[in-house]
Amino acid sequence: MNVVPFFEWLDASSLASFAKTYAGLFSLVQAVHILSMIMLVGMIILGDLRMLNIVLKGVPSDVIIQNTKKWIYIGLVGIVLSGIYESSAIAMKLAYNSFFWAKMAGLAMGVVFMLSFRSAVYNRAPESIASTGPKSDAVEPWVVKLVALASLLIWFSVAANGRWIGFS
Amino acid sequence: MLNELLFEFATWLDGFQASTNLHEAIYAYGWVEGTHVLTLTLFLGMLLVIDLRLLGVAFKELPASTLMERLDKPMMIGFAVMIISGVLLYFAIPVRSTQSIWFRIKVVLLIAAGINALLIRNMTRSADLAWDKDPVPPKRIRVGAGLSLSLWALVVVCGRNMAYDWWDCHKEMPYFMYWAAGCVNELAAFE
Repeated sequence: MNVVPFFEWLDASSLASFAKTYAGLFSLVQAVHILSMIMLVGMIILGDLRMLNIVLKGVPSDVIIQNTKKWIYIGLVGIVLSGIYESSAIAMKLAYNSFFWAKMAGLAMGVVFMLSFRSAVYNRAPESIASTGPKSDAVEPWVVKLVALASLLIWFSVAANGRWIGFS
Repeated sequence: MLNELLFEFATWLDGFQASTNLHEAIYAYGWVEGTHVLTLTLFLGMLLVIDLRLLGVAFKELPASTLMERLDKPMMIGFAVMIISGVLLYFAIPVRSTQSIWFRIKVVLLIAAGINALLIRNMTRSADLAWDKDPVPPKRIRVGAGLSLSLWALVVVCGRNMAYDWWDCHKEMPYFMYWAAGCVNELAAFE
């Protein structure tokens, strides 16, 4: 699939010319992108560190994971909207930028992983991790910890590749 | 006077070979800057969790003191990394940072956020935590948490804007801006 025409279209769009015209607004959108990252990744980190029993050990994990969801979604919306705005201004650079594509791959992987494995495995965390009472369908502790590590690694790669777009 | 002192200090730092080396090392500088930005997720991420609880909008099932006490360590680890990487970034580009209006506003906001954090800490001593399990804490606590989030968000905005040269000393600016940014040499031209 050739995606270059899409980026050519984005580059020629009125959004792109608007984004390129107002530098002050653009920098604010960049800050919104960073603040959304803090909300999204901060809440992911909290859940993952909890399931690794590194923070808040003994506090029922269901309560923590449940509370992070809303803020993860708000963060995601903020990140995607501000990200589209930012990318319109440098569309042709991004079309050929490997860090951008690594970031997009990581982002897609992170969202799919969060909604599937991460969510399912965290729901079935054994008592030694979850502290919510015994469960009949509990998985092994190492499975939960592996999922937590994988989640941290995926989101780290998204943020790190994103930062490196600016240096490349 | 203060502008001159700060400029002298920055110029002194700028004289170190290590300062130039770090600035010109693409990978080392990029990693320090990347660390500074990515550690925000740990430091401000944990701060966000605590402040949302103190605002009474999230984690309401948990006592506020549980989050404050047990997330303090990861937050402070993040803060330490922010300070270390931040000092290195300042060391790599001392003169321009010293004369950056954004950096100056950022430092003032950091001090304000620090004072606010101390006030919150004073208001949340264990003896005063009668509301610990209430879903929504008293107003003074919520005001403090709201201030905390606003101040830190503005710190991020200022940090991000340091990358832009709109108000750098070499630009044509009004006298007040040269003074506020500490453009010592440009100010001298007005004498």
